Amino acid sequence: MVDQLYAAVKARGTEGMAGIWTDEHQLIKAAHRLREAGFVKFDAITPFPLHEIDEAIGIPRSYIPWVTFVFGFVGLAFGLWFTWWTSAYNWPIIVGGKPMWSLPAFIPVVFECVILFAALSSVGALIFSAGLPKVDPPVIDPDLTSHKFALFVPHNDKGYDEAKIQQIFQDLGADEIKRTEF
Amino acid sequence: MAADVENLKPPGPLKISSQMKTTFAVLMFLGFVAFALALVNDGARAWHGYLTAFFFFVSLALGGLFFAAMQHMTNAGWSVNVRRLAESFAAFMPYAFVGAIALLIGAPKLYSWLDPQVVATDYLVAHKAPYLNQGFLWVRTLFFFGGWLLFAHVLVGRSVDQDKSGDEKLTTSLVPWSIAFVMFFALSYSFFSVDALMSLEPHWFSTIFGVYTFGGLFQSSVAFLILLIVFLQRQGLVTGFITADHLHDLGKFLFAFTVFWAYIAFSQYMLIWYANIPEETLFFVPRSEGPWVWVSLALILFKFVVPFFALLPRWAKRHPAHLSAVSVLILVMQYVDLHWLVFPNFDSSQVVFGLYEIFIFLGFLGLFLFSVTSFLSRHPIVPLKDPRQQESMHHHVVY
Repeated sequence: MVDQLYAAVKARGTEGMAGIWTDEHQLIKAAHRLREAGFVKFDAITPFPLHEIDEAIGIPRSYIPWVTFVFGFVGLAFGLWFTWWTSAYNWPIIVGGKPMWSLPAFIPVVFECVILFAALSSVGALIFSAGLPKVDPPVIDPDLTSHKFALFVPHNDKGYDEAKIQQIFQDLGADEIKRTEF
Repeated sequence: MAADVENLKPPGPLKISSQMKTTFAVLMFLGFVAFALALVNDGARAWHGYLTAFFFFVSLALGGLFFAAMQHMTNAGWSVNVRRLAESFAAFMPYAFVGAIALLIGAPKLYSWLDPQVVATDYLVAHKAPYLNQGFLWVRTLFFFGGWLLFAHVLVGRSVDQDKSGDEKLTTSLVPWSIAFVMFFALSYSFFSVDALMSLEPHWFSTIFGVYTFGGLFQSSVAFLILLIVFLQRQGLVTGFITADHLHDLGKFLFAFTVFWAYIAFSQYMLIWYANIPEETLFFVPRSEGPWVWVSLALILFKFVVPFFALLPRWAKRHPAHLSAVSVLILVMQYVDLHWLVFPNFDSSQVVFGLYEIFIFLGFLGLFLFSVTSFLSRHPIVPLKDPRQQESMHHHVVY
């Protein structure tokens, strides 16, 4: 039962080539070289953020800010409609001699709705775009969380050629090159 | 990139062209003439215009000093290369001291509570007389401006000293001074706002008022800092020292304090609107009807909504021309905000704004630019011997 469940949720990896370095500068050079060679789907796995890596791999800007922006507006519309529906339409009660539809009093509620929708949708979009949750994903090398750096080219990348990738990794002094799953 | 940074030529002091000098002198002269003419024709209007422009530039000077103090307090490394520019605003402080004495002389034209007849007949004003009286006003104002002058002398003076000696102890010694300044600033600027702006209508009170004026102070100071940086970048003086990454972080400050100002402005409005007490609503009544309502709406739109969306995207905060345009808008709206606080007290039936106000403002602008640029011509633009300076050279903003 547990085994079946595990098999059902276990994250499946992609076949590909990985190069491992202990010097992150070599990794960044290799990333540039891979891009020049026309690869687009490869990724870097590093134990800490590298400032230049975004540009080296050519990661486009994340779409998450747009999710935040759009859902902020959705929250705004929902907050306006909901305060109107509860206080002025469905169950109108006079409070403090103010009109039923008293926008200044509702702004804090609307504001909180904007924040709530924007924040929750951002977290949701992050989880979705990162492909989480990943149960027991394949590991290229356990040391990639402490002192090693890897580049991984999946087999379905444009112009995938193992010999060519091996050559690039070797030229830039990779400590280890292997066929693996990630 | 790292190697290039080491080989950069240090930016020397700013060279002021004779054209700039002439411009500042002409602005100051025009401002002085406009103020003198206004005094002769309509004394009350002249002093209201003076107060608006004076408060605007005192806030900029204090905002620069506050920005520098904040960097010392938080031991910030990224901001070292822009800190000297913020410090340069404080060069206006000695002139502000003189300006404050002038304001005290003109005060009877502005504040009805200085009129003994009003105090004798108005119960509420008489009740506030222990605070709102001539003697205490002079003592407070001189104490605040004297304190700001002292802190400007220490905070900026030690930073400049470090350029010569390179003594790292100066950096650590500035932390307690900065903390002391920020505490003094929080109280003194609130009281100064109450004295200078809130007491124009002595019946009115709002406990959030000091926070409101602070929001405008920080928003406008960052806007001015950005304009100064873009100007120096165009001169080619800070290439490699102040980059798009520094602008990006200042753009974030500008965005954050645009939201902060709106948040505080709305908090003030909503609580007064909700409680509906005459002593409180009398501030918003003249600003919600007649021609002033358009100014109120313009404030919401151009001091919050437009800058909010204009600063939202990442590129907007890294694009010098775009960021400058938004900064100019915010500085204009900061003036409108102060005008909106001051002038309904002079005449609530119409929006009084004309050549007098424009030229008095331009006169102050000339004086402020003169004091800032002459400070930058005497000292290096970047504090090169700050121990955290390398951190600022390699400042990199990912998001």
